[in-house]
Amino acid sequence: MFSRILKQTVSKRTLTSSSRLFQAPTKVNSPTATKLAEVTGPDSSLIGPGAQPGTIPSNLDQATGLERFEMLGKMEGVDVFDMENPIFEGSGTMQDPYLVPTYVGYRYVGCMGKKGEEHRPYWLKVTCDEPARCWHSGVVFLGKYVGAPEHSHH
Amino acid sequence: MKLKNMTNKVRGNMQLHPFHLVGPSPWPMFTSFSLMNLALSMALTSHGYMGHNYFMFLAMFVVFYSMTLWFKDMMAESSYLGDHTMAVKRGMNQGFMLFVVSEMLMFVSLFWAYLHSALNPNVEMGMMWPPMGMEAMSPAELPLLNTMMLLASGVTMTYAHHALMNKDRKNTLYGFMYSTMLMVVFVFCQGLEYSFSSFTIADSVYGSAFFSATGLHGMHMMMLAMMLAMCTWRVYNYDFTNTSHVGAETTMLYLHVLDMMWLFMYMVMYWWGS
Repeated sequence: MFSRILKQTVSKRTLTSSSRLFQAPTKVNSPTATKLAEVTGPDSSLIGPGAQPGTIPSNLDQATGLERFEMLGKMEGVDVFDMENPIFEGSGTMQDPYLVPTYVGYRYVGCMGKKGEEHRPYWLKVTCDEPARCWHSGVVFLGKYVGAPEHSHH
Repeated sequence: MKLKNMTNKVRGNMQLHPFHLVGPSPWPMFTSFSLMNLALSMALTSHGYMGHNYFMFLAMFVVFYSMTLWFKDMMAESSYLGDHTMAVKRGMNQGFMLFVVSEMLMFVSLFWAYLHSALNPNVEMGMMWPPMGMEAMSPAELPLLNTMMLLASGVTMTYAHHALMNKDRKNTLYGFMYSTMLMVVFVFCQGLEYSFSSFTIADSVYGSAFFSATGLHGMHMMMLAMMLAMCTWRVYNYDFTNTSHVGAETTMLYLHVLDMMWLFMYMVMYWWGS
């Protein structure tokens, strides 16, 4: 038994924890996505083709996971993390609140005031249930659930 | 986000923000303890509280061990898991800049210590610099060779960087290998120079300031040799792409900063100060 273990260790890899991961067969479910629409989730659709032997790969060859997802978005002009201009609906009044897109039912928003009456950010927890109003400038926000219906906790 | 084609169901399954929230890892704690061991065993050994240096070498080994495993995790997170988005890379670059600034301030304090005595040698030193009876090294021998090697490493580094950006694997590998070798040879020559030195770190303020400053620089060179070796391996392993190679960028920045540092050190401590 000992000699068998020794043989395995020597013939394969000596770092056993890594070797178990490396030797497990990788399941490939969906092919590599070439555009955002083909991404099927945090899975094999976000694994690139890899480098050609003997070359320095490009990021499109090599990037995986979230890094690749971000890149696919950038190629289509989409900010996948919703950081640059997340709020683009509504006008901030009680009748027409700013709609804050959320995948989890709430989102923290730092209200900076109205145009011409800016103030330092006051943080509000904006939910989908009722409008949140900045107590300094009176600007109104409301969460807008944009995730899939079955993900909603409401 | 205005999703054009992708379903919200898919988007909701992915991480919503670009930041990398690292998972639980033993390495920060493990590295801290092994560094404490190293510091303690080094101090106790060099002050003669221990009859041997086995513990020092054991502690050194454990530090290298934890570094290796921590770096392995980071390489997996960046190259294989894709956790390093633009925001993460920007954060790491900024963090490294702050690290370099704090390192430079450490060197500033050692220059201050050196010049404090060198500019006003007091009567105990014989009112001269190097102090009376001290024999400084010649700046024209090994130190000059070391200076030339460091300047050459700047050249090979830029060679490697441009080859990397232009997707030339062979020359990238050569560039990183030459730079690694120049660092190793530098450290070796510095070791020779130390062993041929006529004074030690315990010989007057001159010896203390000289060996503190050049020794700190020498330790950085050892670290740089390791970083460059790691970069060489990562190029060999297809980890770096032509546009995304934060590890290489930080190594290059470090090399150039320490090269400049050495030039000042050479001019002030070896040339002007001898």
